[in-house]
Amino acid sequence: MEIRELRLEDLPVLMELERSLFDSESWLESSMKSELTNPNTHYLGVFDPDLVGYAGLSSVPASFSADIQTIGVRQSEQGKGLGRALMELLMKKALALGAEQVLLEVKADNASAIALYKSLGFEQIDLRKRYYQPSGTDALVMRAKIRQPIVLGIESSCDETGVGIVQGNRLLANALASSMDEHAKYGGVVPEVAARAHLESIGQVLDKALLEAGISIDKVDAIAVANGPGLAGALMVGIGAAKGLAVAHNLPIYAVNHLVGHVGADVLERGSVQLPTIALLVSGGHTSLLLVRDLLEDVELLGETIDDAAGEAFDKVARVLGLPYPGGPQIDKLALNGNPKAIRFPRGLTLPKDMEKHRYNFSFSGLKTAVARHVEKAQDQGLELNHADVAASFREAVVDVLISKAVAACKAHGVNRLLLGGGVVANARLREYAQEVCDKEGIELRIPRFSLCTDNGAMIASLGAQLIMNGRKPSSLGFSAESTLDVTEVQAP
Amino acid sequence: MLLAIDSCAGTSAAIFSGDKLLSKLLFEDPFGHAENIGEAISQALSEAGITAADLDAVAIGRGPAPYTGLRVGMAAGISLAKTLKLDLHGVMVLDAIAHGVKGNVVITTDAKRGELFYARYQDGERVSGPTVISPTELAIPEGHQHLTQSSDAEAVGRYAIAALAKGVDLSDVSALYLRSADVSPSKGKRVSG
Repeated sequence: MEIRELRLEDLPVLMELERSLFDSESWLESSMKSELTNPNTHYLGVFDPDLVGYAGLSSVPASFSADIQTIGVRQSEQGKGLGRALMELLMKKALALGAEQVLLEVKADNASAIALYKSLGFEQIDLRKRYYQPSGTDALVMRAKIRQPIVLGIESSCDETGVGIVQGNRLLANALASSMDEHAKYGGVVPEVAARAHLESIGQVLDKALLEAGISIDKVDAIAVANGPGLAGALMVGIGAAKGLAVAHNLPIYAVNHLVGHVGADVLERGSVQLPTIALLVSGGHTSLLLVRDLLEDVELLGETIDDAAGEAFDKVARVLGLPYPGGPQIDKLALNGNPKAIRFPRGLTLPKDMEKHRYNFSFSGLKTAVARHVEKAQDQGLELNHADVAASFREAVVDVLISKAVAACKAHGVNRLLLGGGVVANARLREYAQEVCDKEGIELRIPRFSLCTDNGAMIASLGAQLIMNGRKPSSLGFSAESTLDVTEVQAP
Repeated sequence: MLLAIDSCAGTSAAIFSGDKLLSKLLFEDPFGHAENIGEAISQALSEAGITAADLDAVAIGRGPAPYTGLRVGMAAGISLAKTLKLDLHGVMVLDAIAHGVKGNVVITTDAKRGELFYARYQDGERVSGPTVISPTELAIPEGHQHLTQSSDAEAVGRYAIAALAKGVDLSDVSALYLRSADVSPSKGKRVSG
């Protein structure tokens, strides 16, 4: 006997069984076909070796509710526990999808089915008169509640100390402290300064998150923490705090990948990350282009920066232009009045010769140098420098290369979705240009709200919750900080 | 019940009932703080036959110590004490090493980068320090013993228990680095000729 997902090619045998079970009240083949092809439904079939039972679940992403669409077991196989087995699998699926309740309708005279549902935790919440036609039988509406796991996540990979709390796909708290101001005088993130700041703020950020979520720590089911990639000394503060919490409250701990956390953040917006998707993560520490086929199982790094991160390039160019740190917002503001075509700055790794090895890699170091040369040349020759034009032209070069490569990856992999993440997403021109190009190319663009784009604890908690909802075991307590953690390592063992 | 945590050199945790040591765990690996902190605390609790819920207070070694490892134990102590609503005490670890040592003592510990953390004591009371010195500046005065061992959770716990009994204020739980974050703002340099 085998239980597997039903596919479109199973439609004929499925309809045969459906008709034999429900006769005049059976679904139309066209309805069943759309059920099987709907991305928001999950149909399972029991084969022995022919189809002997089936059941379907529907859950619209972000709804927190799932419905049992139908369930049927061939007469000769009833009473053998197949219905229960199918229901249990669908309940597990509902948990994985973030549903907080599962609803179903059952014929009021179907005592054995009602007994099964009751034993699975369903309660009657409503009665629909003459729901089933043409027989005119009443339907009971039943509901089972699912308790989604509450996860507290800690993020400390760079200069943001984040503690987030989620319950399943629901965001409960996203508290943050940033040491950005302390880095301002250095013009960039200083690892030791960041790590010191994490230790100073971790206690109050923890308090703030629990207060915001309105829960006490004993309601938390698990701890999640980013163990890489990032600054080792900074990561270790979060890991120390996370392990302290896990031991103090006897909770399982999940060490998760910071970059995959960025991708998973969209779960908190939409109830799921629509897959497959290309993800472009741009921040002061990372510039990574990912192909995500499955959030927990299949994340592939297509390319990344070979020198500076995009955010770093903004910081460095801001310094060249005499602007304070962080450079992104400053350059964005200045560029408003500039001409993006005034100066043609180089687009790194976009030449035909780069396409073999660096098709999806980025390089911003040469661009930064080109801007510096341009500025120095003007100063040396006593020419008046149009700062706004420099800012706008530089910004255009960064945005052009980021979005062109991301869109090229979408096309090459036949994936018509692009998800943006990371602090550089705050850049107005990046968002505008991404929308423009995606609209033209028929690509669906996803940008989570800004507080979920920048480094934050909620995305770490959310990835931890996804692991739990999908039945993953916790990490062992002895995991370490991995500053160069590979994106394929979603969870430390 | 007191939980003491120290990650200044190795990673260690100890449990005291009153002034009696119930258990002590030490991982000596000087680079394994992040890996070992959870096990150290968890095993110390289980060897003492208690759970974290039985604790009344936490003492953490707050340095001086080379940066990275120090913070791991402190972060664990802070999150644990805060969420269990326990008193958190900070121990300057050279005080812990000197605790109970009679006579005149100089204590130095490895500060990395060719430097030493230094403090001088008389009958366990600090006379000078803590400070960072270069080994060439180190002079052991006449009649002083020179101790160079590192701290651990047992020493931190013993000191905390004695100090609290005497009414010493251990409320400062900030890390003691004794060095600045060692960066100077970049002036920005020319890229062209």
